[in-house]
Amino acid sequence: MAKIIKIGSQNLTPKIANPFKTSRNSTTNPFKYSNFEGNTLQFADVFEGFEPKKTNKLRMIASSVAGSMTKLRSSIAEPIVNFVNRVRGGISNAWDYAKNTNLGEIKGLRTISAVMDKAKESMNKGLSDTVDFLNQDVTTFGKGISANITGFGSELSAKWADLISKMNYKKISAETPVAELEAMWRNEIALEAGGAV
Amino acid sequence: MNKNVLEIIDALTAHQDSDSIRVLEELGTNSPDNEVREYTSRALVRKNVHDSLKIVIINQGKGINDLSPAVAMSTINEILALKDKGEVIKILDDTINMHSDETVKENARSVKSLLALS
Repeated sequence: MAKIIKIGSQNLTPKIANPFKTSRNSTTNPFKYSNFEGNTLQFADVFEGFEPKKTNKLRMIASSVAGSMTKLRSSIAEPIVNFVNRVRGGISNAWDYAKNTNLGEIKGLRTISAVMDKAKESMNKGLSDTVDFLNQDVTTFGKGISANITGFGSELSAKWADLISKMNYKKISAETPVAELEAMWRNEIALEAGGAV
Repeated sequence: MNKNVLEIIDALTAHQDSDSIRVLEELGTNSPDNEVREYTSRALVRKNVHDSLKIVIINQGKGINDLSPAVAMSTINEILALKDKGEVIKILDDTINMHSDETVKENARSVKSLLALS
């Protein structure tokens, strides 16, 4: 026991005995001259919260895929071999059906063809009706113009006749027969009553 | 007033045919237009014959008896302007003495007084 005390007091340097002793007083960085090699820091878990934990994204994705696969496998009720055989058989049957079937015999196609024929017929009929309607409309329009021109011509003719009859009044004199003068006067009265100029 | 009607009245005024008086009375003195009535009455006076003067003196609502003062005064002025007043005075006297309507009598009396003063 006395040896141990002696060794401890003579061989152990003050640094080893207390590593923080000198640095604390001489420098701003207390760990500058410190060597932690071979030593374990006491209360090391105090610093653990300062460094953020880095998450591995690739690992997370892989984990997710694996979970999905597991889920998929569990959803297939039958063995995978039977499933593959069934799909392969279905494809083979579909190919044989397509190879040996006339397109005209397909019910859906026949229906589509009939519908298309009907649509084509309707479109043709619609176009024909439209052309007929336009033809009738143009004819009616032409007749209307013709009637208007005829009416306008008649009206113009009547006005022209009135004008000519008024020009005949220039020959009014004492030699004009009384009956003719009376007729002219009555005509003037009729024109004024009718609002004509 | 229509220019054509004016010319027709002038032509009828100058016309020697007695039928012109009938036309003037029928179409002119019965016209709803005051101007036509006035012009026709003056035309009948200018004719200065018994039949034409009789129309504007003894008929109620025509000539000197017209409801329009302008027509009546214009007719009286035309009578006063006549050179030969013999026929018109004769008709006025007959009207004053024999007409059944007092208003027509009174109007004839007034016109005769104006003729005496002129």
